[in-house]
Amino acid sequence: MSSVGETPLRGKLFIVEGVDGSGKSTQIDLLHKWLVSQGYLVVFSEWNSSPIVKATTRRGKREKLLTPMSFSLIHAADFASRVHMQILPALEAGALVLADRYVYTAFARDGVRGVHKPWLRKLYSLAPQPTIAFYFDVPLDEAIRRILEGRPALKFYEAGMDLGLSEDPYESFRIFQGMIREEYDRIVEEFGLVRMDATEHLIRQQQRMRQLVLPHLDGVLRFDGGEINTALTRAGLLGRYLDEDDVRTEEM
Amino acid sequence: MREIRFYGHQPPGFGERRLPGRLIAIEGTDGVGRSTHVALLKEWLEARGYGVLDTGFTRSDLAGPGIQRAKQGHTLDPVTLNLFYATDFWDRLERQVLPALKAGMVALTDRYIFSLIARAVVRGVSADWMENLYGFAPVPDLVVYLDIDPPHLVPRVLSSTGFDYWESGQDYLPGDSLFTNFIDYQASLLETFRGLAAKYEFKTLDARGSVSDVFQSLCLEIEPLLREMDAEAELNEMR
Repeated sequence: MSSVGETPLRGKLFIVEGVDGSGKSTQIDLLHKWLVSQGYLVVFSEWNSSPIVKATTRRGKREKLLTPMSFSLIHAADFASRVHMQILPALEAGALVLADRYVYTAFARDGVRGVHKPWLRKLYSLAPQPTIAFYFDVPLDEAIRRILEGRPALKFYEAGMDLGLSEDPYESFRIFQGMIREEYDRIVEEFGLVRMDATEHLIRQQQRMRQLVLPHLDGVLRFDGGEINTALTRAGLLGRYLDEDDVRTEEM
Repeated sequence: MREIRFYGHQPPGFGERRLPGRLIAIEGTDGVGRSTHVALLKEWLEARGYGVLDTGFTRSDLAGPGIQRAKQGHTLDPVTLNLFYATDFWDRLERQVLPALKAGMVALTDRYIFSLIARAVVRGVSADWMENLYGFAPVPDLVVYLDIDPPHLVPRVLSSTGFDYWESGQDYLPGDSLFTNFIDYQASLLETFRGLAAKYEFKTLDARGSVSDVFQSLCLEIEPLLREMDAEAELNEMR
């Protein structure tokens, strides 16, 4: 999977994986905030977010047009587009890249949907190799409890309803997540993902993540967030009328 | 299809071993006359009583509109574009071609995986990666490759739509001469096509001749498939 060019990339890539409800998004969000506060330049990439591909995926899901193969292919298109436009250029520039879900999500979900596994691995061989890939391991019951607590309406593909596992979305979700979890177990072995105990206290998990990330931060790009904060402090202002996102983009 | 085989592996959604219909792919470069021949074939087959499905790139419900939209922008890299095309290809395979083959129709496809592979390879995408990508494609009962050379291609293109941005490789070739780029692009495309034709054993037809001559040879190639279909149908009736 490290087949991107001949020269090693200057930047570093940290990714999180795990079933829904494993807490991986919370953890990478905390890591993100910490890295930014430490002055690092961080690019964040989310699964299924390419502006060029997203509309097609959304349409496919809404109209239930997706089958295991088209589901797999359209997600690969989304991923390829993000690698090309976002992940790879940032790594070449020497930045930190964080990704919530990576190729292993496709290996797990599509694998469970019956897509040929060697084909999938080759399909995603264009992906840069993560510096560290974290897998948030949580018992199935705990993951299901967390998801159903906060978000009772399950989406069709999220619940694996396309697989015809059960008529009941909740039952289908349980079976589907169980299958994905088993597939993840194999993937963790195959690719040497770092297993995190997702039942541990949030703070303890975050501490461990930071410990593991820290040794890899030498020489990566830093960014002081622009001059806005300095300007505000000096003038004793709060910046109530600044839309931070807009200003940031302008500065960069 | 006599027997369903795949270039790489059997994908989920394609469980059958045999299908009563036949899958015929017409391959060849831009402007060689594929669409003309597909239209003529459709009429010829229907006149003889066969049900015909014709399909071609970007005609899927799922990904067709997305590809059109994406190609208008400037942000598309060749790998993403190819995965978009692969999504479109698969969706048509599953929703158009497979049902037609089950129903005993002749499925005519204007271009198949080889156009997609050739276009990507000349743009620097790994051939190995592309061939793996389309490993899910069933091997058609017949792949006809319409072969031509740039000197014969130029007048055809000029007398129809003119030189097109993508068909001249303008997206990746340097310089702004559409004509020069067209010649260079088509030359490398044709070379790649011929390599694929040898490797995958296409039926190659010389497309430099008149439409009517080429069409006649095309019909001759297809005739045996139709006889075979008829024989199978008769056998089924006797059972």
